[in-house]
Order: sequence, then C-alpha cells, then structure tokens
Amino acid sequence: MSLSAKYGKKRIAAGFALLGSVGLAIGGLSVDRSAQAAAPAPASSPAPGSPAPGSPAAPAAPLLQTNPFHSGESGFVVTEIRYALGPDGKEACPAGMSGGMRSLMEAYAKSPAGQRLPDEADRAYQGRMQRALNNTPDGKNICMNPQLGAEDPTWRMVSGRNIKVEGIDLDGVDPRTGKRQQADTCTHEEFQGTAGERGVDNQLFRMIGCTTGFQASGMGNGWQTEMYTGSWGIVMSVRGVDNTQNDPDVQVGIYANADPLQLSADRRALPFATYAVDQDAHYRAETHGRIVNGVLTIDPIDVRFHNFVNSMNEDRVLRAARLRLTFTADGGMEGYLAGYTPVEDMYDVQFGARKSRDAKGQLAPERLRIGTSVGRAGALGYTCNGAYRALLQAADGHRDPATGRCTSISTQYRIRLAPAFVVKVPTKSLNAPLAVR
Amino acid sequence: MTFLSRRTMLRGAVNGAAVGMALPFLDIFLDVNGEALAATGTRLPVRFGTWIWGCGFIPERWIPTTEGADYVMPVDLEPMAAYRKQMTILSGYDVKLDGVANKPHVTGNLGLRTGIPVPGETVKAPTIDVLIGDQIGQGSRFRSIELSSSGIERSYSYRGAGSINPSETSPIALYQRIFGEGFQDPNAASFTPDPKTMVRQSVLSAVTEDRQRLLKGLGTADRQRMDQYFTSVRQLEQQLALQLEAPAKVENFTVPTAPGKTVVDSEIEHVMANHKIMAGLLAQALACNQTKVFNMLFSDTASNLRRSASSDTHHTLTHEEPLNAKLGYQEQVAWFAAKSMVACREFVDALAAVKEGPGTLLDNTLLFAHSDCSIAKSHAVEGIPMMVIGGAGGKVRTGFHKAGRADAATRVGLSLQQAMGVQVEKWGTGAMDTNRTITELVA
Amino acid sequence: MMKHISKFRFGTVCAGLALALAGGISLAQQSAEPAKAAVVEPAPAGGPLVMRRLTESQYRATIADVFAPDVPIAGRFERGLREEGLIAVGTSHGGMSAFSIEQYDTSARGIAADVTSEKRRAQFVPCQPKSATVFDKACATAFIDKYGPQLFRRPLARDEQARFVEVARLAQQRLGGFYQGLEYTLIGMLDSPHFLLRIERAERDPQHAGQQRLDAWSKATRLSYFLTNSAPDTELLRAAGQGELDTDQGMARQVDRLIASPRVEGAVRSFFWDMLYFDGFSDLFKDPTIYPAYTVAAARDAQEQTLKTIVAHLVTDRGDYRELFTTRTSYLTRPLGIIYRVPVAERNGWEKVEFPVDSQRSGILTDLSTLALHSHPGRSSPTLRGKSVREVFMCAKVPDPPANVNFTALDAVSKPNSTARTRLAEHNENPVCAGCHKLTDPIGFTLESFDGAGIFRAKENGVDLDLSGSLDGVKFTGAPGLGKALHDNPSVPMCLTNKLYRSAVGRDVATTEEPFLEYLTASFAQNGFRVIDLMRTIALSKTFYSVTMPESKPVGPAGQTASAAPKGDHS
Repeated sequence: MSLSAKYGKKRIAAGFALLGSVGLAIGGLSVDRSAQAAAPAPASSPAPGSPAPGSPAAPAAPLLQTNPFHSGESGFVVTEIRYALGPDGKEACPAGMSGGMRSLMEAYAKSPAGQRLPDEADRAYQGRMQRALNNTPDGKNICMNPQLGAEDPTWRMVSGRNIKVEGIDLDGVDPRTGKRQQADTCTHEEFQGTAGERGVDNQLFRMIGCTTGFQASGMGNGWQTEMYTGSWGIVMSVRGVDNTQNDPDVQVGIYANADPLQLSADRRALPFATYAVDQDAHYRAETHGRIVNGVLTIDPIDVRFHNFVNSMNEDRVLRAARLRLTFTADGGMEGYLAGYTPVEDMYDVQFGARKSRDAKGQLAPERLRIGTSVGRAGALGYTCNGAYRALLQAADGHRDPATGRCTSISTQYRIRLAPAFVVKVPTKSLNAPLAVR
Repeated sequence: MTFLSRRTMLRGAVNGAAVGMALPFLDIFLDVNGEALAATGTRLPVRFGTWIWGCGFIPERWIPTTEGADYVMPVDLEPMAAYRKQMTILSGYDVKLDGVANKPHVTGNLGLRTGIPVPGETVKAPTIDVLIGDQIGQGSRFRSIELSSSGIERSYSYRGAGSINPSETSPIALYQRIFGEGFQDPNAASFTPDPKTMVRQSVLSAVTEDRQRLLKGLGTADRQRMDQYFTSVRQLEQQLALQLEAPAKVENFTVPTAPGKTVVDSEIEHVMANHKIMAGLLAQALACNQTKVFNMLFSDTASNLRRSASSDTHHTLTHEEPLNAKLGYQEQVAWFAAKSMVACREFVDALAAVKEGPGTLLDNTLLFAHSDCSIAKSHAVEGIPMMVIGGAGGKVRTGFHKAGRADAATRVGLSLQQAMGVQVEKWGTGAMDTNRTITELVA
Repeated sequence: MMKHISKFRFGTVCAGLALALAGGISLAQQSAEPAKAAVVEPAPAGGPLVMRRLTESQYRATIADVFAPDVPIAGRFERGLREEGLIAVGTSHGGMSAFSIEQYDTSARGIAADVTSEKRRAQFVPCQPKSATVFDKACATAFIDKYGPQLFRRPLARDEQARFVEVARLAQQRLGGFYQGLEYTLIGMLDSPHFLLRIERAERDPQHAGQQRLDAWSKATRLSYFLTNSAPDTELLRAAGQGELDTDQGMARQVDRLIASPRVEGAVRSFFWDMLYFDGFSDLFKDPTIYPAYTVAAARDAQEQTLKTIVAHLVTDRGDYRELFTTRTSYLTRPLGIIYRVPVAERNGWEKVEFPVDSQRSGILTDLSTLALHSHPGRSSPTLRGKSVREVFMCAKVPDPPANVNFTALDAVSKPNSTARTRLAEHNENPVCAGCHKLTDPIGFTLESFDGAGIFRAKENGVDLDLSGSLDGVKFTGAPGLGKALHDNPSVPMCLTNKLYRSAVGRDVATTEEPFLEYLTASFAQNGFRVIDLMRTIALSKTFYSVTMPESKPVGPAGQTASAAPKGDHS
C-alpha cells in the first residue's frame, strides 16, 4: 500500500540505521507532562547527534522529522482491532453452525402458535412472533436475563480437530520463571497457532467460531467501526528502549484514547497524530515488558477500554492482558493483545447489553438495550441464552476457588498500531464529553 | 409630491431606457430574476423538498467514476437517466461525527439535515426544510407537507427537539387534507403584495437618489465603476418589482380525484404504488400553491422495506446478508438500493408531469434527495449519497457529478439554503461548521 | 546605486535583470548597518485620489466595530480582484456585479434586522420612540446621526440625512413599527455606495495655494483602514471634524493611539493574508491519496499558523521582519502536528512550538501554507516555489512559460530514481526556458525537502535530495540557507516597504514617489526592520496624504474634487 510504503521507507532509513546509539526508530513520541508544572513545548529537544545549534544545517537528512522518537520513547495508536479467529465453516464446525434466532423463528413459524391469525395485521404478527421468541413466558426479556432462557439446542461450539487458530499461549510455562503464566485456569483444549505452535488459548473463538456473525466475513467484528467515528480508541506507549531487537526491560503503557482517531479524507488512520490518554485511571495500565528478537511482550496487566454501540457504551475489559507485537515497516506494530475477559463483562459488551450506559453515564433506557441486544442476536446469528451458556461453558480463566468454576474466558485480539504521539496531559476538555456528546 | 412617487417616476424612466437597450425580455424576467413567469405573465414560486431513502447505497453502483457533466451514468442511477441534465449527484460528503456517538440510521440523517450530529433524536437545530420553509414557505396554505410511503408515521422534519412535523402515510388521508374541506381553487385566489417589498424598493430609491451628483464628482474610470454599481442596483430593483405582481393563475389545473383504497405497509410493491399516488397528489398541491415545501420519506432510514414472502427487510439484510465475493457487495441489499432509485425517478416524474409556464413544476422545484448513511452495514455516515434535482427556478445548477472528498455534508445544506434565499453565512457546528458554499451548485 | 533603487516598481526580471538585482547585495550590506544620520522624508510628491471598494475583511471588521462582532453577515463576497500581487490594489479597480449587490443587500438586511431586533435594540438604538404609532422623527434622526457618520466615514449632508429619515418614516408608515423604519433605513445606508466604496475627496490646501490635499475625512479613512483594517472610530472622526488631522501634533496623537491599539493586529493580518496570496486556498486542492495528511482541517489551520507566527513576531514581539524567514518558532494545532510530525498536546487550540535546529524548517518559507500553495496537487514544484519567493517577497515578476513548451520530460514524475532537479535539468539547459528557470529553480530546489503538502522528506523516488541552491549569486543549502539568504537580501525589505505602501494607498507607486520609498526603506532598516514602526512612518508621512490632480476634474459639492487612480499602468 502506498501509505505504508511512503512512511515506511523513511522510518527504516532514519531509525534502524541509528539502532542502539540514538534510540528507537519506531512509533511516535510519548510525552508525559502530567507531573510538570510549566510544560515545555514537546519535541523541542534535539536528538543526540544532531548538529549543534547555530551550525549550518547539513545537507544530509536531518533526524528529527523522520525520527521524532528520540530518548527511546515512542507512541502508538491502534488502527485495527478484531477478535483473533480460526477457520470458517466446516473446518472448525463439522457439526454445523449455530442456528441462532433465525432457526428459532423458522421453527416457531411452523408451530401452531406461530401461525398468522386471519385478521392479524402484518406488524401485529411480527410483533407477536418477536415477543414469543425474545421473552420468557412471564414476559422477561431473555437477552437481559440470559440465565432464565432455556438451553439453546442449536448452539455449536468449535469442534474441528487440528485447526489453526490465531492467538498466543496465555497459560504456558514461563521459561524465565519456570512457572505457569496463568495458574488459576480450568481444563480446556488448546488450539494450534497459525504457525503450528502449541498451546494457543482462545476460548472465545471456541465459543463463537460456529456463529455466522463471527465468520471471517461476518459482522461480529463491526465494533471497530465506532473507533473510526471517534467514539473510542486505544493508544500505547513504549519507553526505555535502548535496542529495538533485544531489550530486557522496557516500560509499556496501554491506555484508552481520549481523542478521536485522526483520519485522512479516504478515512484511513493518519500516522503521527497526537492523542491524549484517558483521564480516568481505570483506563490506564502500565507494566514492564521486554523485546526479544524483535518481539515485544509484557508482564500481564489488567486493561480496560471503552466500547460503543448504538449510542451506548460499556467497558471492554481484559484481565492479565499480554502483548505479542512486532515492529512493522511503517513505524507501527502488529500482533496480539490477549488476556481473559470476565464472562459477565464479555456477555455485556458483545451479546446482551445489560449494563450499557447512555451519553450521561446513566444506565441506558431498557428499550434501547433490549432493541440492541435482540437486533444484534438476529444479525450475528445467535441466541442470548445460548451465548451466555456457551460463555460459562468455555470459561477457562480466574477459577473461583469456592465453586471451582472459571469466571473469565481467554480472549485474543488481533491488532495493528500506527506511530502516534501519546501525551499524558490534562487537557481543557474532559474525555467523557468528547467521546459522548 | 411624496418622496416615493417622485422616485418611482424617476426610476421608471431610467429603467425603461436602460433595460430596453441592454437585455431582451426573457433575460430579465426569467434568468436575471431567477423566477419564471407563467404564460399569464405572473410569477411562479420556487419549491423546496426533500426525498429520503434508507440504508444508503452500493458505492460502486452509484457513484460516477468521473466528476463534471460528462460522467457515465452508474448502473443504479440508470432510472434517473432521463433527468440527467436536471440532476446533480453529490458523493463523498460526510457527516463529521468528531466523537459524537453514532446512533445508527439517525445520527447521520439528522446531522445532515440539521448540521449538528447528535447521539439520538434530540436535534439541536431545525432541519433544513424548516429553515428553507421559513424563507420561502410564506403565502401558501401549508407551511410544508410531510409524507411517508412505507407505512411508518415518521418524518425527519424537525423545528426543534421533540417538535416534529408528522407524515401522512395514507394516500386517502393526504388527499382529504389537501383537496378536501378548506381547499380553494387557485384561479380565484386574490393577491396582496408584501408591503416589505415596496419598502425595499423605496430603500433602493433613496440609495440611488444622488446618483448624478456622485457620478459628477468622479474621474472617468471611477465614474464607470460607479455606473456599474447603479446598474447592479437596478437589477435588484427589477427583482423587487416582479415580487409585487399578482401570483400565478394555475394553468390546466383541475382538482384531482380521490385515490382508491390501497394497502399501506412496507412490502415493496405496495410502497411503490402508494409512493407514486402520493407523489402525484403532492405535485398537484405544489402546482396550486398549497405548499412550497415538502418532505417525502420513501423508506425509513433503517429501511423497513421488504419483499413479499420474505422475513428479511432491507435493513436486516444490510447486516445479515453475506458479501457476494464475486460481486463485492451484498446482492439483495443492492436490489433494494436500486429499487429506491426507481422510486426516486417516479417521484421526479410526478413533478415533471405538471406543466408550468414554459416548462414544468420540476423546473421550479429544488428536490434534495439523500439517504441516512453510505454503507449501511457499518452505519457509515461518511459519503452519504445525495442528489439535487430540478431547476429551482434557476437558483441551482444541475447536470453534473461533484465529489465532496470528505468535506462536511453541511456544505450541501448551506448551499441549498443560500440558493433558496436563506440569509445564512455559515452552517453546522464543530467539525460540521462550514461557510463554504458549493459554488458549482448555486447559480 | 540609483539604478536598483529605481527598481522600486520591480519590473519583470529574467536573465538580464537578474544582474540588477544581484547588484542589490551591496545595499543589503549597507542596510544591515544603517547610517546613523537621520533619514528625512523627501518633499511629498502626491498621488491620485482613489475610490476603493471595501474588502471582505474590511467589511466584516467595520460591521464588527460599528455594531458588534456577533452581528451576522449573511451575504457572500466575491473573490477580490488581485492586481500586481495585491488585492488591496485591485480594490481601486474592480467593478460591482449584480451578484455583489444582491449579496450586499442580503448582508444589509441581516445586519439591520439584527441591530433593530427586539433583543438588541436597547444596545444599538440611542433613543426610544415617543409614540408607538406616530413617527418619532427626532429619534430616527438620532439613530441616523449615530450610524451614518460611522458607516460613511464622514458626517452626512443635510439632504442625505433627510433622505434616510424619510425612508424610516415611509417604512414605518407601510409596515407599522418604528424599529422597522430604522431597519429599512439602515439597509439603505449599508447598500449605499458611500458605505461600500471609500470615495476619497480632495480639498484646497490652505497652506499651499493652488495645491490640493485630502480632506480630513479621507485622511481619517486612509489612516484607519491602513492601521486597523476598519472604519475610523468615533475618536478619529472627532479629531477629523475638529481639524486635528491637519496638524502634525494632532495627526501624531491619532497615529500613536491607533498603533498602540490591539486593532493594529487586524491590519497586519489582512496585509499579509493579501501579500501571501492566501485567497488561493479557496481553490487549492491536494490529491488525498498522495497527501492523506493534508486534511480539510490542516488546510484551514495552515493559513492561521502563518498569520499567527507573523502577528506574534511582528506585532507582539516587535521583531525584525527578516527573521520571519529564519525563525523556528511557530504555532500548531493537532491537524498541523500530523503534517509537521510534532506532538501537539493542546487539544482544542494552538500550541507554540520550536522546531528543532535540524528540522530544515525556516520561518514562513517552510510553513505548510506557503509550501502547499505553491505546489501542484500531487507533487512539489521548485519552479512555483521559486517564483513565489521572487514575486511575493522580492517584488520581481517572473513571466509565465511560453505556451508551446514541451513538458513531457518534466511530467515523468514517477520516473524511477528521478528528482525534481533532474527532471528540471531539461529546462535549465534549454535556452528558451533557462532564462527564467534559473531565477526560480535554484530557490525552489532548496525547499525540496518538503513535499507538496509540506511534509518533510529526505528522498524523492528513493534518491537523496540535493538541496543546494542560490539566490542572486549567494550559494546555500536547504531551506535554512534560503531563509538566511532572504534575510540578508536587500530586495526583501525593499519589497515589503513597496507592498505595504501600495496596500496603504490602494494603487501602484507613482514614479515621483520613488524617493519616498527610498526614504521608507532606509527608515525601515534604521528601525531594525520593525514593520509596526514602518507603518507608523508611513502613517506620519506627508506623502501618504498628499494628492495630485493629474487631470482636470469637475469640482463636486462644497468645492471638493474626487478622482480616480489611473488604470492601465500597474506594471
């Protein structure tokens, strides 16, 4: 693509040539001014090795504009995010796809109760069908109360053998410590990675992989759209990098973005934009990491982002989150963000909008939450009760010692990041009103 | 002798000479003043309306590949080909959300129509039809007429949050409202000139009073420049003079007969039938000056249209239908998108069928057709398809495709308001704020 | 020496004339160390009277000052006529189309409706009508007496005043309300040529028999639009009415008052907006695929970035004009930060930044505004950039290329391993082209480290850029080298002086005024190239207000004469 080629060449040229001596050639700069009273203009300090002030500019390429990433600090903004998945259709789902609302509807339409009455108007009939399928006999909406719904006999888990699934090992033995990285897990079948490696923990895929909406071309990853309208976003900072190939200790920040993603006219994310991190500490996480043979990984950390759908928002949570990222030619990074999502949170963010908030942070109107949940179930091809049960069944993390049951589900995101300037500054406007106006 | 009568005489003499020499009759009374005359010699009003279809389009089937007048008609716009010269295609104009949460099918549509995207229906400004109606809507029986052809009693004409002008959904109800009790034959209507127009004439008279003395004090070059100023003022005076003439008698107008009973629901063939009847009634209402402003909701923004014996609607298909890998788009969704353009053609047909002055009602109408989103499956509000159709009495230029290149959609709304004479310098807020007229569009 | 001084009119420069400009270097060296002896204004030569149309920014500023900044202006404005590099000069030549009048009338109706509206009449109308039904002539007259002189920039003649009172009476009679009467009479004033055009008048000079001078109102108007880009305020009108502008002391008091006022910023802004061709942004288009970062927001902020830099340096800091070509201080917004690749923490506004020493940024030469404006939609242009440097900052005129030039060699932009320099080599070797290209391209090559959207690049088509160039015999490298060369080039302050004066008088420089411009340039240098001081020098000069009567003119009422700038010779 022309964009990456355009920026990429420069990045490589300016950056990797300086490896080890000047600093990191990837990403944008992160600036922390929160602790400083009088903030200096950012990026004002010249890079080591640049000509002394006053000396005539050398004809050679100057450093800073191609390489604003001095001092071993760099910033990034997530430009692509989706669930890491495995193969589509029969390969993953030899037992077929989940039936979802559509099969319920078809079955009901064949039943005596589902027949259209002689004088029944079109809309009235549709409404009666909807009520019968979406509510419990005593009128409670099933998406809002999934535990009250019956078992979904048409639900299918991924059962394909020897399939290759995206993701990383979350609970394997850490070679540095000899301990398991995630001890409190429940027994589950691990996948083979896309490169044939063992031990990929991706129970979310196991759960949703046979649902039409989560096929490769499905709508299940449509939630990235709201990132492009500026409702939410994710930024990262990497500091203390002495060497972009191998560095035993770097500091990594993972934050909700307080600013809308900056886009070109054809709606691609622009590199080198400035973004502030969320003002709310709940949406900021900082941890140690390391670079081994050009691969950045981190010590597990709980992270939390915003998610928006249908003008409502909820939190997208990831516990014991890890990164496995490589640096890309365009100055960005790509790879996995993975961890464990509490099953109740996963249900709320992706299936039934039980706790979604409105623009003012209040619980959104039930009508809107029900409409969204029911509509989403129909569009993505599942039932709320089926999804809830499948989540509980597939849960593999954070075992509750009292019950012996796991409370979170391994969740893997495939992400790409572009270089950006990540600033940690108190800004004039607050984050929340910016995101939800 | 009063000031006015003295000036009127003076002006009459000046006009007689200057105008007679410089411009043929038609230039003055059709082009210069931007208002056409009926054969009876009376003025014809300019009408404004919107036509909304839901769930956007298939870009590769709708957006011409080139800009300007010589574009190849895209496949989904083929139905509109007959109106090629009276139609401007506007692609690539965005509703800029700038962080505003996108309520699917609502935020984009109301953002486009109010200039201010909001995460719901709580609009922060009147919709464009109301703004224009306030300018041109006076002097007709109804300030505006709202219609919905897919059975949903809904409209996107807002005077403010919660103040919505409701739609007629039944052709029979529509007929009764317009042509039932209270309807007067336009050919018997009396006319009262707007006193403000006469005052404006006297203002311009006062401004030009010392013309001779001004000219006398100037050098040759500046005298010519000053003379041009007076010539331009005179053209404005001419426009005012036309506005003081009696309104048009409506040629060939007979009160339409009441439509028969039809099925009102969202099944596409029913919708097409009702839509066509309503368009015909509306055209007659416009012709006899019952209203100058209208809003037609062909399909709701989350399009409820469906085909007979199918449980899918246009809207759900946008989310559920898989992409046809070979075609590169959703095939059934494309069918509805194409059908929407057939409906648009039928609506325009109804306007073009009414003879008015030397042309048709369409020549004196500015029809703003748009959707609520571009690609419905992602609810994208960037590049919402829009068309400006009709002659607008010479106030707009048509016959070309213009790509917005991600400019704010408010540029269209601003331009349409300015074309319709609304005194507005800038429109929209935040990222939607613009003062940039689409100059190609505004004549 | 006199030879290049006579180039104040800066004729066409190509190969032959380049020598003359190169000769200017010696002047630069002198100017850099100005003589200590006081420079003295030569005897005023005088120029013609002009009739100037208000520019859009002057119209807006005038309405904002006379009424309030939030009074809406709904009409649209025709793009200003640019003559000899300045719209300010075009204002004394352009005519007024029917479109303009319609739009002025639209604006007038919007302004008048707002000013007389129920919620604002207490703010703007100086009295209340005695009766709800009977026309209150005294109150209407008070309203007209308050705004008429401010809008017409002179007192109204008795018959004018009576005419506007009559409009108010008639409007009330027809429409029923006193305030509607005021509304329509205000529309009349705003549609009037006395408002829309600055019609200069001369009067007999009592101190010099047989000579003419600007009348006090015309003096006040010239002065006010020059120093504030807006109409004379009530204090200036008062001084004019009491004859104070005809005394050195009285004039100095007003000049110093206006120079010290914040309104001077508006004048500096509008002058540089005009000088830098920023009206060109209205039809500037960049290919979004090639330049994705050149967004609508970046284009909007680009102009403001440069104007902000100029105002801060020249007005706030009273800095040396020549440092505008070398400063690394600038102001950025978030959208601009993407282009400059600099973090901008400030989310909703401007942040002052200092570009790094090795950034190749060098003052307004490397601002996105100037780099993008003088480039093609999809590539940079050393020729256009060099031409703009010559024309905008050095007052030279580079001719358009001959119509039959074969551009195929140049058009092969994507030719592998090519740079603009290698592609332009053809032109610099072809004698038909070389004469002018040698004037432009050696300037433009040094700006090649910035692409057509002002983004830094080290290479073009994979090839390292050769940033060497020259200006009038001085060799240098890169934008900072060009910035220093311009800083040291005598044509640069000379040109600024020339443009500022032409902008002030709205016409070209008369041959007889050249000694005056020489004086201004020397004075500029002596005052450390501070533009505000130069404006003060012009405003205090006799020449600025002196008039000649090039042709016999019919004498207007009250013995006044109005005249026009001669058209046709603006070279």
